[in-house]
Amino acid sequence: MGQERFADVVERFTNAYGVVSGVAPEVLTQWQEELDKLQRRLTNLHRLVTNPPEPKVGQTPREEIYKKNKSRLYRYASSRRYKTPLLFVPNLGISRPYIFDLLPNGSFIEHMTREGFDFYLLDWGVFGPEDNDLTVEDCVTRILPRMARKVLESSGATELNVLGYCMGAPISACFVATHPDIPVKNYIDMAGPIDFSKVGLFGLWLKKDYFNVDRFVDTLGSVPADMVKAGFKLIKPTMDLSTSLNLWWNLWNDQYVEGFQALSKWANEYVAFPGEFFRQWVRDFYQENKLYRGELVMGGRPVRLQNITCPVFVVGAKEDYIAPPDCVRALLDAVASREKEYVELPGGHISLIAGRGAARHCWPKVSDWLASRS
Amino acid sequence: MADTTANQLFDIWKKQLEEGTQAWTRLVIQAPPTAPPDPFSFWRPVLDEGLQAWAKLFAQSPVSPDLHGQWKQFLDQWIEAWSKVLGQAMGTEEFAKLMGQSLDQILVSQAPLKKVADQGIEQALQSLNLPSRSQLTAVAKQIVELEDRLERIEDTIGAVLRRLDKEPR
Repeated sequence: MGQERFADVVERFTNAYGVVSGVAPEVLTQWQEELDKLQRRLTNLHRLVTNPPEPKVGQTPREEIYKKNKSRLYRYASSRRYKTPLLFVPNLGISRPYIFDLLPNGSFIEHMTREGFDFYLLDWGVFGPEDNDLTVEDCVTRILPRMARKVLESSGATELNVLGYCMGAPISACFVATHPDIPVKNYIDMAGPIDFSKVGLFGLWLKKDYFNVDRFVDTLGSVPADMVKAGFKLIKPTMDLSTSLNLWWNLWNDQYVEGFQALSKWANEYVAFPGEFFRQWVRDFYQENKLYRGELVMGGRPVRLQNITCPVFVVGAKEDYIAPPDCVRALLDAVASREKEYVELPGGHISLIAGRGAARHCWPKVSDWLASRS
Repeated sequence: MADTTANQLFDIWKKQLEEGTQAWTRLVIQAPPTAPPDPFSFWRPVLDEGLQAWAKLFAQSPVSPDLHGQWKQFLDQWIEAWSKVLGQAMGTEEFAKLMGQSLDQILVSQAPLKKVADQGIEQALQSLNLPSRSQLTAVAKQIVELEDRLERIEDTIGAVLRRLDKEPR
């Protein structure tokens, strides 16, 4: 049954219903709209089930600047209005970084490049069993400094801005604190945990008393993607249910369905952790909170957050259960910067980086703060 | 004689049975009435609220298309309530301990099996003259190390060149 014909049927039915029952015309219109939505819902459901189109993610033009093992450094096309380039450091493992460039008109990277920032993305890559010896220390002392130097080389700038998201924030904070030879002009932490004593459920589950990280890594070698998935599903068990309900509710809306498909593709594509990386991440950060307590040593140098003196901008999300606002905000107390600012925005961990709320509440705040300092 | 004895025994048994039944009946009647467990007690406020909303909607005549919206709202509240309860349960030390113990048990039981399986696969591949995963991993590790060495050489040359550039000629 075609759409036109179905609409005629709906109209005939509702008109007849109105005559019979004496319903007010506005209620009839509401019924017509509701039935029309239902028809569109069913059409989209049929399409999703029988022939789901592959979402086209990561469409902002970019070029590969450098590669080191699995990691890649990408530079995005932009008008480059600001002279200081921006190095974006996302999480390692867990998920793929195309979430930052999900869809046109809904992409953090697109927003930043449109604003004129010379945007560089560090894609850590998908690690295999041959990378199981990689540690957090390697990322901080070997990969990040090299990538930062490549940013300076390719942009011709003398300084760079660094933005860390999620796990990328504590890792990049370690890098900034231990590498005074690389001039970082501004530092931004988006939803990145710093004080791990306030990190919520994951902090509790990974406590030394309950979680034997050595046995875990020694037995499995690495943390398989399915295990990562299980951990994240467990932290919010009703998430899939509410996502499905919201999908049904908005299934009539083609734009919503397109966004859902892209987000769903990302949300179900988990990435494994290298074994030694996970061991150090859990032991030094979650279990012993060494970063915040100033007890971390990397590359023979103590990691002291008070060595960060550049302007710092911290963004937390009110309902973030992966990196609760208090553990993110802690960076402000730890750094020695004179210029530092914290904003807490509505939504959860992902709401800062994807979705309509992010484009409205978060991204303009980040780009405005950075624009005046770049 | 035998019949008389049998009848006496039967009477005694019958009397005991009757007395026992009476005693049980008295006990049951005298026992304080206990309320049956109500598995819905926690959810009753949520369910009541939802049912009231539905009842109100059905009382409307004619039924408005807003019914669908109310249904969504009801499910949202229901999921939110579940989420809170699960969050509270999973946020306890007991849950963390239980989860840690379960994981430990899985790992302890899995480790020897994995070792045996890995050895078996390794031997099978060796007999077929095929490289195993661990051998390929070792080669890949060597390549990664070589890449690192090259980078370090690159860095050293870069540093020397920069120093030479700075020195007066």
